[in-house]
Amino acid sequence: MFRLFSIPILLCFVIPTAGLAEVVDETEIDQKVREIAKTLRCTVCQTENIWESGAPLAHQMREAVRERVIQGQSTEEIRAYFHSRYGDYIMMEPPKQGVNWLIWLAPFLLLFGGGALLWREVKGWVTRTPPSQPPPALDETSRRRIERELNDNQ
Amino acid sequence: MTRTTQITILVVLFALLSLFYQGLWGDPRHIPPVLVGTRAPVFEGPDVESGEPMSSEQYKGKVILVNFWASWCQECKVEHENLLRLYDEFKDHPEFVMVGINYQDEIPKARAYLQRYGSSFPHMQDVKGALAIDFGVYGVPETFVIDKQGVIRHKWIGPIVDNVYTNLTKNVLTPLLQRADTQVRPYDQAP
Repeated sequence: MFRLFSIPILLCFVIPTAGLAEVVDETEIDQKVREIAKTLRCTVCQTENIWESGAPLAHQMREAVRERVIQGQSTEEIRAYFHSRYGDYIMMEPPKQGVNWLIWLAPFLLLFGGGALLWREVKGWVTRTPPSQPPPALDETSRRRIERELNDNQ
Repeated sequence: MTRTTQITILVVLFALLSLFYQGLWGDPRHIPPVLVGTRAPVFEGPDVESGEPMSSEQYKGKVILVNFWASWCQECKVEHENLLRLYDEFKDHPEFVMVGINYQDEIPKARAYLQRYGSSFPHMQDVKGALAIDFGVYGVPETFVIDKQGVIRHKWIGPIVDNVYTNLTKNVLTPLLQRADTQVRPYDQAP
């Protein structure tokens, strides 16, 4: 009797687990495809990666990434393949070499250069501004008028 | 701040902005093609008209002109007559082959296109766009010339018209076909 019921009970635990394992595998592939696709630029769009782009070429590139992920290629192998076909242009982050260094360093150069210029200008303003002078002494007529007005208000 | 410093800063800023503009919104036609001078990918697929399998392996040792096109592409229609003329000009050369690759298309539409505009050389299907990615294609039409050693020697993005036609036939195809070097170097030894 125990054996009769034990098999269906066991299946209740095994079948959903097998299903879950399948879902997890698929998600891992999707996740890797997404990670790689987000690093590749859509070559017919403006500043969009192939994951976010709706262009047919981007869709085909996503499929090409997926096929290579399923084949077991590494992230670097897949990125290298696309780089070999389209060059630096396809990389959302251009490789840190040659003239590309300009892209990476320009924001910092502009920030430091701009900061230095701002500092120099502000310093110049401070140096050029004459020190504040004490107010001129009150003459006797004005002093008496003010006293009178104060007394009137009391 | 001196006037010279101000002008220098403006020039540097303008140069940087120009570079960023070119990088972000520039025309991909002006991007240097990375595949020119490298080994051409092997391409294979069914024939558009007959459905029979085709492969670039059968053209080894020949100068191959590969043209990517689609029935929905307006510029392809503009160049189509020139492609037929080009094929007529070189078809009798024993070492010349011309292959069209039909890109992102529906086969009935592609067949109707060839029937309407004419077809004198074979065309291969690339329904999934995998061949186009292998060739680093941005859009159609794009044309490649592969030499006898299997190395891509020329790439043109856009229609083959006017000066482009003259340059392709006189400065690219003719010299490649006239070269006495007919010994085929294995693909894996190509640069």
